[in-house]
Amino acid sequence: MSAVTTTSESANWGSRLLIAIPYAWLLVLFLAPFALVAVISLSTVRLGMPPFEPLTAWDGSILSLRLNFENFLYVLTDDTYLLAYLTSLKIAAISTAVMLLIAYPLAYGIASCAPSSRSLLVFLVIVPFWSSMLIRVYSWMSILRNDGLLNAFLLKVGLISEPLRILNTETAIYIGIVYTYLPFMVLPIYSTLASADRTLIEAARDLGCSRVSAFWRVTFPLSLSGVAAGCALVFIPVVGEFVIPDLLGGADTQMIGRAIWLEFFNNRDWPMAAAVTIVLLALLVVPIVYFQSRQSRSRT
Amino acid sequence: MHSYISIENLAKSYGVVSAVNNINLGIGKGEFFSLLGPSGCGKSTLLRMIAGFETPTSGAIKLEGADITDVPAHRRPTNMMFQSYALFPHLTVGRNIAFGLQQDGLAKPEIKKRIDDVAEKLQLTALLDRKPAQLSGGQRQRVALARALVKRPKVLLLDEPLGALDKNLRTETQLELVRLQRELGLTFIIVTHDQHEAMTVSSRIAIMKQGQVLQVGSPLEVYETPQSRYVAKFLGETNVFAGGRAERNGDELQIDSGEAGGRVHAAFTDRIALDAPFWVSVRPERVQLATSGAGLEGTVEQLTYTGVERHYRVRLTSGATLDARRVNHGCESDLGVGDRVFASWSPQASRLLAE
Repeated sequence: MSAVTTTSESANWGSRLLIAIPYAWLLVLFLAPFALVAVISLSTVRLGMPPFEPLTAWDGSILSLRLNFENFLYVLTDDTYLLAYLTSLKIAAISTAVMLLIAYPLAYGIASCAPSSRSLLVFLVIVPFWSSMLIRVYSWMSILRNDGLLNAFLLKVGLISEPLRILNTETAIYIGIVYTYLPFMVLPIYSTLASADRTLIEAARDLGCSRVSAFWRVTFPLSLSGVAAGCALVFIPVVGEFVIPDLLGGADTQMIGRAIWLEFFNNRDWPMAAAVTIVLLALLVVPIVYFQSRQSRSRT
Repeated sequence: MHSYISIENLAKSYGVVSAVNNINLGIGKGEFFSLLGPSGCGKSTLLRMIAGFETPTSGAIKLEGADITDVPAHRRPTNMMFQSYALFPHLTVGRNIAFGLQQDGLAKPEIKKRIDDVAEKLQLTALLDRKPAQLSGGQRQRVALARALVKRPKVLLLDEPLGALDKNLRTETQLELVRLQRELGLTFIIVTHDQHEAMTVSSRIAIMKQGQVLQVGSPLEVYETPQSRYVAKFLGETNVFAGGRAERNGDELQIDSGEAGGRVHAAFTDRIALDAPFWVSVRPERVQLATSGAGLEGTVEQLTYTGVERHYRVRLTSGATLDARRVNHGCESDLGVGDRVFASWSPQASRLLAE
C-alpha cells in the first residue's frame, strides 16, 4: 500500500516538474521581459543610456514612484497610431479570411486523399519553411517588382501593356502575408479533418443528407475547432507583423509593427514604443481569450 | 416468391479480393433477419450494400420489387444503426434524433411530436438536451436506435448494434429490440458475430462464411438441422465424427465410425449421400452418460461446473474427445474425472452432415 502511494507521489512530482520547466521558461523569457516593457512604457524618455528615466527615485528619505501615462494618452488619442492599429487589424482580418478560403479546401483535399499520399502532401505544405522567411519575402520583391518576374510574364503573354505596380502597395502585403502564413492555417484544419470520424458522414448520408449537406451539417461544424485554431495562429502574429509590410508594403501603409520599430530605432523613444506595444497586446488579448473560452466550451 | 427485400446474385469485390460472392437472399416484411458469421465473412459488406454505402460489383438489391441497387444512400428508405453509434458529437440528443427529420423538411411541430414519441418509447425524454459525450454506453445505443427509428424506415439495418455493451445489458437490450420490432412491425436486418444474439433476436438467420451464405433458416432449423459441418460447429457446440460404413435398418441407420470408436445410430435420411464422405454430429446436451450399458466407451477427462450445467469432456477409446452436458439439478455429480463411462444418444439426436 505504501509502495503504491510512493510511486503515485513521485509520479505526481515528476509531472509537476514536467509542467514547471516550460512555465519557468515562459516566466524568464516572456513574462519578465514583458514586465520590463510595461515598466518602460510608464517612464519618461530621456537622452542617454538607457534612454528612459527610472520609475523610482530615492532622495535619502523619500521613495517616490513616478508613473508617466502620457504615452498611453498619446497613443490612444493620436490619429497616426489609431490608424496604424486599425490598418493592422484590417490587414490581419482580411488576410485571415483569404487564408481560410484557400486553406480549407486545400486541407479538405489533403484529408480526403488516401492516408499513404497524405503525408507527402502535408510535407509539401511545410516545405517552404525550410528556407528563411526573410529570403522568401525578398524573392517576392523580385517577383512583384515593376520589372519583376510577374510583370515580365504578364507583358509577354499580352495580358497587360504596362507593368502593374504591385510592390510597395497593400496588395503586395496581402500576397506576402497569405503566402507566409498559409501553412499555419492549413495544418490545424487538416488535422481536425483528418481525425474526423468517417462514419459520421455515413450516418448523415443515411439520414438523408446529400454529400453537400452532409458537409455543411456535420463535417464543417466539427472542423470549427481547427478553423478557430488556424485563425488564431495567423491573425495574432499578422497584427504585429513587421518584416512583410516593411519589405513589400509602401510608405502609405503603416502597420503597428512598423510604428513600434520606427518609434524604437528611429526616434529612440523607448517609453512610447513600449506603450504602443502594451496597447497592441491588450487588443490581441481579446481574441485570444475568446478563442480559449470557445475551446474549453466545446470540450464540455 | 416475392420477398420484401430480395438480394439477387449480389457480389462485391475489392480488386482481386471477393468480399461478397454471389449471394441470393429473400427477406420477408416484418422479419427480424440476422446475418451471422465470423469477422471478414462479408456480412457487414452485405449490410452496407443494402444501406447504399457500398456499390455492388454485380447483382441487384430490390425492395418491394423495385430495384434500389443504384439509389444513393440518402434516398433509400433504409436507416442504419452503426456499430460505433456514429452520434453527432456537436449536437444534443434531441438534435441528433431530429437530424434526419429536418433533412426531410418536416414541419417543426411534427418533428417535435415524433421526437417525443420515440424518446418516450426508448426512455430518452430526460436526456434530450444532453450531448452524446455526457451519456453512458447504453444511453448512446438507445439514441442511435431512436435516430434511425424516428425516420420510420422500411428497413432498419443494425450493424453489430450491441457489441459495445456489457453482457447483462446486452441480454436486456436484445429482448428490448425484439419487443420494439414486434411493436413497430418493421423489417430489421442485423449483422452479428454472436451466435447467441442471432438465436435470441431473429426470426431467421443467414449463416455466412467467406462471402457466401451457407444456410438460411429459423433459429430452430439452423441449430437442429445444420446442413454442413461449418454451420453445426459455428452455431453452438457439437461433436462431429467422420462416418464410415452405414447400414439401414428400417427408419434407422447404423453407422460405423472409426473416429468415434464404435457404432452410432441416426434416423434415416435421404438428404445426404452415404457413399460420399459424411459426418455424424451430436449436440453435447443430447449425449447421455452412464456408468454401464451400451454406447461409446470412454473416460471422463475433464469436468467443469458452470452453474447452469456441468460439462464433461470424455476421452473415447478411439482417442477422440466427446463433450456432454447435464443440466444442474443442484446435486453432486455421480461422475468424476477418471470414471469409465458409456456415451449414447437417441438416433434422432444424430445429424448427418456432408462436407
